[in-house]
Amino acid sequence: MTVITPALKWGLIGLAAIVLSLLQAGLFRQDLFNLNGVPLLWRFIVASVHPDLSTELLQTTFSATVTTLAYAVCGTFFSVILGMIGGVLASEVWWLSFGQPSRCWLLIRAAIAVPRAIHELIWGLFFVNIWGLDPLTAIVAIAIPFGAITAKVFSEILDETPRTPLLILLNSGVSPLTAFFYSLLPQAFLNLLSYVFYRFECSIRSAAVLGIIGAGGLGYEIFLSLQSLRYEQLWTFFYALFILNGLVDLSSAWLRRRLGCSSRIDLNLQQNKSKTPQKAAQNYFILIPIALFLLTLCFWYINPDFSKFWAPRTQQLFGQFVRSALPPDFSGVPQLIPQAIETVSMSVLAIAFSAFGGLLLAFPAANNFFLPGGLLNQQGNGSLPQIMFLLSRAVLLICRAIPAPIWALVVLFVMFPGILPGAIALGLHNLGILGRLMAEVIENQDQRPLAALKAQGAPNSLIFLYGVLPLTMPRFLAYSLYRWEVCMRETVIVGLVGAGGLGRSLTEQLSSFDYQALIVTLGGFLMLTFLVDWVSANARRSLR
Amino acid sequence: MKKILFSGFLFLSLLSLGACSSTTSPDAAKPVTQKTFTTGAIPDQDPEKLQRLYSKLSKYLEAELKVPVAYKPVTDYTAAVTAFKVGDLDMVWFGGLTGVQARLQVPGAEAIAQRDIDSQFHSLFIANKKSGIQPIQNLKDLTTLKGHSFTFGSESSTSGRLMPQYFLQQAGVKLEGDFKGQAGFSKNHDATIELVTAGTYDAGVVNEQVWQKRLKEGKIDLNQVEVIWRSPAFFDYHWVMNPSVKERFGADFPQRVQATLMKLDPNVPDQKEILELFGAAKFVPTKNENYATIEQVGRAIGKIK
Repeated sequence: MTVITPALKWGLIGLAAIVLSLLQAGLFRQDLFNLNGVPLLWRFIVASVHPDLSTELLQTTFSATVTTLAYAVCGTFFSVILGMIGGVLASEVWWLSFGQPSRCWLLIRAAIAVPRAIHELIWGLFFVNIWGLDPLTAIVAIAIPFGAITAKVFSEILDETPRTPLLILLNSGVSPLTAFFYSLLPQAFLNLLSYVFYRFECSIRSAAVLGIIGAGGLGYEIFLSLQSLRYEQLWTFFYALFILNGLVDLSSAWLRRRLGCSSRIDLNLQQNKSKTPQKAAQNYFILIPIALFLLTLCFWYINPDFSKFWAPRTQQLFGQFVRSALPPDFSGVPQLIPQAIETVSMSVLAIAFSAFGGLLLAFPAANNFFLPGGLLNQQGNGSLPQIMFLLSRAVLLICRAIPAPIWALVVLFVMFPGILPGAIALGLHNLGILGRLMAEVIENQDQRPLAALKAQGAPNSLIFLYGVLPLTMPRFLAYSLYRWEVCMRETVIVGLVGAGGLGRSLTEQLSSFDYQALIVTLGGFLMLTFLVDWVSANARRSLR
Repeated sequence: MKKILFSGFLFLSLLSLGACSSTTSPDAAKPVTQKTFTTGAIPDQDPEKLQRLYSKLSKYLEAELKVPVAYKPVTDYTAAVTAFKVGDLDMVWFGGLTGVQARLQVPGAEAIAQRDIDSQFHSLFIANKKSGIQPIQNLKDLTTLKGHSFTFGSESSTSGRLMPQYFLQQAGVKLEGDFKGQAGFSKNHDATIELVTAGTYDAGVVNEQVWQKRLKEGKIDLNQVEVIWRSPAFFDYHWVMNPSVKERFGADFPQRVQATLMKLDPNVPDQKEILELFGAAKFVPTKNENYATIEQVGRAIGKIK
């Protein structure tokens, strides 16, 4: 008699999806690898040890780095505002506190799913058509999708925060608005703040990606040097990007620790035990002026032209854009279907690759595992674990700092265009993000069951297999499924540089200014993203 | 305490970073005044070479036209067309196809000038010597490329994609299935030469003028890569002017710019250098009707709707 648990069922489905995707990628069928490109790849790698450090280039690097940072800061600022408003409106508890149980929140939550499913780069391409290459384009392109994502997460945080204090206030006759602001918001504040920090880290990566449409900053410089095959310059920009990402991640982690919020994003909020912050008031006293100063500085530096919002020219170009996109042209749909399947395969392969790689790197990258004094190394010996620790952290940082389309261009040195290079590029980028999230899961995990196993004299291998893996695996899988949704959205941007799937159609339609067909392709993307969201949410539920 | 010091240091360094670079503020951060005449170009070659070329041209135009002239680089062909449409760029050096695309989106835009070579422009099919592909004599023999890997230039390039795809089609070579792997898009002509020289792709197709120029500069290793076929002639590159300049600089501005471009004289050293960088002996007038064939092919291939 066989017993198929939901978890096993989803495991089998996942495995089947990976195998089918590999077949779809043309493994064993087509020419995939282009070994003639190896010398060029080698030149690229060799250039990493002698980056161009001329004064002129360093100046460019400097201002590009600040531009990227400023885009991220301003973009995060607006996305948090949008997220705050949207998040409250999309939460069940907000409508509940006004008495009559209403379905409004469901409608709003459904509505914000649309801007969320469209990648920043596509938003950027849209706004370029209306505002040109103003910094405003970059900021709004980050703010809209990120605002929608933030709104969704905020609404979930609000809904999962214990409601008893709110209900007590409401029952004692406090007005709903006041009750909301004095009970639920303060309770949820740390989780919200923690998520803001995580969004900021994501914004830095997005700001770099937006360079590809010409929005300026490090991504733009990297793209230009890659096009002119100037690898020495490219590496200078790469190093700047590593430093920027590293600094932002470090300071965000440090701040979160100081304020008492533990993990970046918490998918299982009920289990979250945030420690009470110490000297909180003092922290905010320092933090708020610094944040305000940084914000002002960033707005002043990039100087976005806000008058474009209401300029008559904007209306005119917007009207022109809408007219050129309507009515949608459905004649290309038969070609889109195989490409849609390719795109899903690409996302499946990408997430499988990054989950596997992230898993391998997460354990050496966690600070409480292999390191001296860590769980599996209590004698505290050896410099090897320390080297492994630094090395794996560095690899994770490099992987996530380099934007996926840039990875794709590098992978295309040695592979023919298709979905496999796209999947590898997305896999590499997401590996860096996933690996770090997994390392955090390991660090924050309850140590008591493991200590008990250890005290009973269980060998390390058994502690790992029977203690660590069962405790961490469900959350690893939850994170991977969550990242799968992100991968799906990102397939479009590697497609733009020639990595296959629907993105390739999109590139052709963009360069042909065929907006009527473009809008149909985007609609296809939207449907795929919703499909993946739905499957992922179902699979995650079965893991709880 | 140590932590506080560290964070203070971190933010101070971030701030000083911002402060330092604000003195060397990039062009992107400066608001371009309404009175600047902004030029641009499709990034068909190494972006740094373009930067050099266009800063020289801007200087010349500024001196002759007595208005501030700026050059704004873009990341790809499509971006050049979009920037022209939105009004970020007043005058752009377009290829045949992008020029038509731009004029279709901006009513009243005019093709004003081209190089002497642009009315008789050619694509060159090139191949890596190790690929075993032999030079061919006529179009029908393009079938020799079947079974080899192949790269175009940009998706919207006239000499690096549109016309070559048309010629391949006439020879009966299909893009899907006839090449080894999918056909690549290198993004610009320099990249195509580099990729075929390195052998990343067995063969590719480039703009004849860029090839000739790199050959003259000694940048091409003829032991590695050779020309296998020169295509029939077609109309290509040209300057397209946005009609909005008339409001800002006067109704005769397009004519003045046209005349200034015609006036470039190979006997004046500075101007000779500009012409050389363009690979031209002189600029000649052109008109929208010259690109009717390009538009037809563009529609047939699906690059113009």
